[in-house]
Amino acid sequence: MKILVTVKRVPDPETSIKVKPDGTGIVTDNIKWVVNPFDEIGVEEALRIKEKVAGSEVVLVSIGDKVAQEQLRTGLAMGADRAILVLADDLDPLGVARVLAKLVDDEKPDLIIMGKQAIDDDSNAVGQMLAELLGWPQGTFASQIELSDDQKSASVTREVDGGLETLSFPLPGVITADLRLNEPRYASLPGIMKARKKELKEIPVADLGVDVTPRVTITKMEPPPSREAGKIVASVEELVNLLHTEAKVI
Amino acid sequence: MIDFELDEEQQLIRDTVVSFARDEIRPHAREADETGVIPPALVKQGWELGLVQSIIPEEYGGFGNPHSAVTGAVIDEELAYGDLSIAMHLLAPRLITVPVVEFGSDELKKTLLPAFCGEDFQAGSAAVMEPRIDFDVSAPATRLVREGDDYVVTGQKCYVPLGAEAQHFLVLAGTQNGNGSGAVHPQALVVARDTPGLTVGERERNMGIKALATTGLGLDGCKVPGDHVLSGGDEGSARLANLSRVALSSMAVGVARAAYDYARDYAKERHAFGQPIAQKQAIAFMLAEMAMEVDAMRLLTWEAAWKLDQGADATREAYLAKRYAADMSLKIADNAVQVLGGHGYIRDHLVELFLRNARGFATFEGLAIA
Repeated sequence: MKILVTVKRVPDPETSIKVKPDGTGIVTDNIKWVVNPFDEIGVEEALRIKEKVAGSEVVLVSIGDKVAQEQLRTGLAMGADRAILVLADDLDPLGVARVLAKLVDDEKPDLIIMGKQAIDDDSNAVGQMLAELLGWPQGTFASQIELSDDQKSASVTREVDGGLETLSFPLPGVITADLRLNEPRYASLPGIMKARKKELKEIPVADLGVDVTPRVTITKMEPPPSREAGKIVASVEELVNLLHTEAKVI
Repeated sequence: MIDFELDEEQQLIRDTVVSFARDEIRPHAREADETGVIPPALVKQGWELGLVQSIIPEEYGGFGNPHSAVTGAVIDEELAYGDLSIAMHLLAPRLITVPVVEFGSDELKKTLLPAFCGEDFQAGSAAVMEPRIDFDVSAPATRLVREGDDYVVTGQKCYVPLGAEAQHFLVLAGTQNGNGSGAVHPQALVVARDTPGLTVGERERNMGIKALATTGLGLDGCKVPGDHVLSGGDEGSARLANLSRVALSSMAVGVARAAYDYARDYAKERHAFGQPIAQKQAIAFMLAEMAMEVDAMRLLTWEAAWKLDQGADATREAYLAKRYAADMSLKIADNAVQVLGGHGYIRDHLVELFLRNARGFATFEGLAIA
């Protein structure tokens, strides 16, 4: 089966992020960039399916700047077969979903796996939009994926408030990966060396003929207020008093 | 002409090793040091990174990637940043596979290399150091004498990593021309574990690298076929020694950087007299100096590694790197203990472990190869 997996280039979650003084974005100097951790889980899941289902192909897709090649190479080094990079400036979620829908027309995958969200803007929107645009079923926030023996349908376990929910639907479909779906493998040295020889196709977004006019624009970014140090009070009376007069919560 | 940029593959390799060291190795560092045991699951996971199999030619079951000392230096630093003992354990098979890939006969490659390309970790080892006051890596006292088509090797070795497990040992011996009166030439050869006369000693009880199982090794008239002696002559022996110095220097950089990062983070968190101690000049100057020395160590090491990759003689550069890295890693780890004050001396913090490990670099020879 053919599995399409998204790979977004995002700042390393271990990096400390600074917002630009003019609020137009974050300071990108000296930032380390990685594969969006949820997408990495998606790549791992696709590779596990490939290991079980003979003749499977895992195709990675990224949308962004040319440097996103690095993240696609990481996915190829993990074991994916080939990669597509759509060259585009920052798109909003609908733009991304439309570009992906166009690629799906060309590639005709049996399954799309993507991270439930990217850890940069945390939109958590593209998977849902893509399923809607394609008219495909969706299983979001997957913590477990099981395919039927004939790979014609999938059942997806989701962690919901108070328990687990399992959805079953026919394929093709869209699945978004949650944190506990799996633990991604490390790219091995031989995998890294092989990745160099795998196909990485670049497509300018204009060539796809998709309307990517942004409907969402970022007007301002600001860091969250820094937390004040705690205060130690001497008595319950003082606590109640402060909660009433200062914190104004009671 | 000068370029410090790693290529795309090297960056990917570094990324993967950085994550592995941070997420898998470091969390085991303390317990492995206390118990002397590295969890087999971790060893297996490390094996799957392909650090050993990568450069073994395809005809023997490996992946046939080119061997690079610079890439080796990058890997060694990052793994040792996680933990020195675990890094040395995971990389121990390279002690024998790298020399055999570079200087082994076809027969020897066929005998030895396929075992290192399987699913599971295969212990490899090198017996380089000797338990004597006048040990000289360029003139070992272990003697290699020719007997017809065979060779006979006799001597005592120590600090032999994974001695209890390894099926083959890369042994560094000395040959002498004529009647045993001429200059000693270092010569590496492979000795199988089941060779009559070979005895593996008890596990050594070391001050540092406590999770790495090292043993002594006795060689009493061990007879070795001629094709088990590596080619390359004096230049080959020098190259192997220099690859080893580069590896140990890189590991010293890793340990030093681990100590520096630990101390820096602690100094930013720890408050005294109303501000983080990192704001105090006595601490800030110390941290700045540590950061400087880490980079200086690495530059010396990379220069030596780069020269080895050019196929040039890097004896001078490798010696400078090794000596400097040994001195500085000890100093930096000691300073890290100092930054933590009283906390630095207790085993709740890793800096005392870094210090014990760093102390070894002045002694270590042949415990790793780039």
